[in-house]
Amino acid sequence: MNKLIRVFAAVVIASLLLLFAINRLNSAVGFSSDNTLTIYNWGDYIDDDLIDRFEEETGMKVIYETFDSNEAMLTKIQQGGTTYDIAVPSEYMIAKMLEEDLLLPLDHSKLPNLKNIDERFIDLPFDPGNKFSVPYFWGTVGIVFNREMLGDMEITSWNDLWDPAFENEILLIDGAREIIGMGLNSLGYSLNDTNVDHLEKAKAKLDTLTPNIKAIVGDEIKMLIANEEAAIGLVWSGDAADMMWENENLDYVVPSEGSNLWFDNMVIPKTAKNIEGAHQFINFMLDAEVAAQNTEWVSYSTPNKEALQYMPEDMVEDERFYPSPELTEKLEVYENLGKKNLALYNDLFLQFKMHRK
Amino acid sequence: MYNFEGFTLDWYRELFQDTRLLIIVLNTLVIALLSALISTIIGVLGALSIYQVKKRRAKNTILSLNNVLIVSPDVIIGASFLILFTMAGIKLGFYSVLLSHIAFSIPIVVLMVLPKLMEMSPTLIDAARDLGASRWNVLTKVILPFITPGIFAGFFMALTYSLDDFAVTFFVTGNGFSTLSVEIYSLARRGISLNINALSTLLFLFTILLVVIYYFITQRNKAQVGGIRK
Repeated sequence: MNKLIRVFAAVVIASLLLLFAINRLNSAVGFSSDNTLTIYNWGDYIDDDLIDRFEEETGMKVIYETFDSNEAMLTKIQQGGTTYDIAVPSEYMIAKMLEEDLLLPLDHSKLPNLKNIDERFIDLPFDPGNKFSVPYFWGTVGIVFNREMLGDMEITSWNDLWDPAFENEILLIDGAREIIGMGLNSLGYSLNDTNVDHLEKAKAKLDTLTPNIKAIVGDEIKMLIANEEAAIGLVWSGDAADMMWENENLDYVVPSEGSNLWFDNMVIPKTAKNIEGAHQFINFMLDAEVAAQNTEWVSYSTPNKEALQYMPEDMVEDERFYPSPELTEKLEVYENLGKKNLALYNDLFLQFKMHRK
Repeated sequence: MYNFEGFTLDWYRELFQDTRLLIIVLNTLVIALLSALISTIIGVLGALSIYQVKKRRAKNTILSLNNVLIVSPDVIIGASFLILFTMAGIKLGFYSVLLSHIAFSIPIVVLMVLPKLMEMSPTLIDAARDLGASRWNVLTKVILPFITPGIFAGFFMALTYSLDDFAVTFFVTGNGFSTLSVEIYSLARRGISLNINALSTLLFLFTILLVVIYYFITQRNKAQVGGIRK
């Protein structure tokens, strides 16, 4: 009995000491004060120095949490247990969040820097008048390929991927809309096509690609391609930039048939407590110089027109990440197709994944 | 990491500069210790009560109920807790994680302690009563010393379950509170920084150290066994 009591007392004391240490650490970094701003963003999607600078300028403490998929973010915000002041969903998720009434309207008078955003990216169909969201980064879906491994073969379009020379060389990301979209684009259909015939045709066409496909993978595609496990990958432009930084032999192309144009946007969810601070943060991130620094760090494409002048020229003039106006015309934003059509996309994608060589 | 370039201790330095990660490590330890402690206390009381139940049928029913949390998948437990906490208005964070960890540790403690109780000869209790021990004396001087090994086993099982639980914790963390397994998972998606490797090394060394200390303590205790238990 004495032994039990002694051990348990030791455990209690140890926990109290640890709790005390946590408390000290928390107050040392200021997390326990009231003046905090909770940001819910994708992993690795902001230059940490900017957070420090924002904290210095405003005296607010930033609590930075990360998510790895739009769906995970939606669940946490729906659930409502956490007071996120800012979240950064992709455009199709904004439509969904609006349907479920999860967003607070933005006060444009508190966002003077909104004028810095390129007109092309203002007033888009998923949020007319930018009442609820401000674009943070944008990008495309395209093909990353290894020049060394492919020799002199060029890839410029989706249809090039069907070349028998690429047997077992292609990695795909595991996303229904991206992959079915590739099938649709290669046939010249819209990415938002809901015609069942067209979708079936796209799926049939994708099935003929299977001999060339090495694997369908998640985020590890970055590492696999950079390590030259495969020569070709279907990826988002931002990931491509990361890979190209890792491995000089890689190159990226936006297919000539057209592709997806996506946005990640800053919003203020219903769970927000520090709405004033959230506006300050959005305005801060819209500042031309700040956006330029952030873009250089994250290496996705910025919608901030004014920021371009502060960025290195070779970055701005890189048509792979800032495509020419002609190609931009062909890029499409995903529309919310409704539950039924999304289920169809998912079913077809699943069938495609199960298709045997 | 893509290529091996050389040896460095940089990542250890970075690890200790990352206050957020340190807080998370400490959180994980506190949750593990407290949940193991509380679930051990509740679990021992539970095992004692189950031991008292004389009807075979009732006993089996209670034991089956006890096993529900062990056999149900972690994801289901986590999702159920999330719904429960939301309905009850408990804010996600330290307490939600602590409560759920206590809940899934209790059945383990019960299962570790109960066999020890069964093993104990009932005549011990009768003898103690005959010799004039009060009920409290019987509990503290006879039963508890006898089942102490079971209690410790239960405590350490609960501790390890809590330390490495991911699925349940994933659902009930929030408001800036996170544990190590959940944090590493969210890091894994964006490419793990090498300071996680440094952290794993330190944790591994720490556990090895604990095991060594534990070994020496048991060795010393073994030498004492054979004397009369107080």
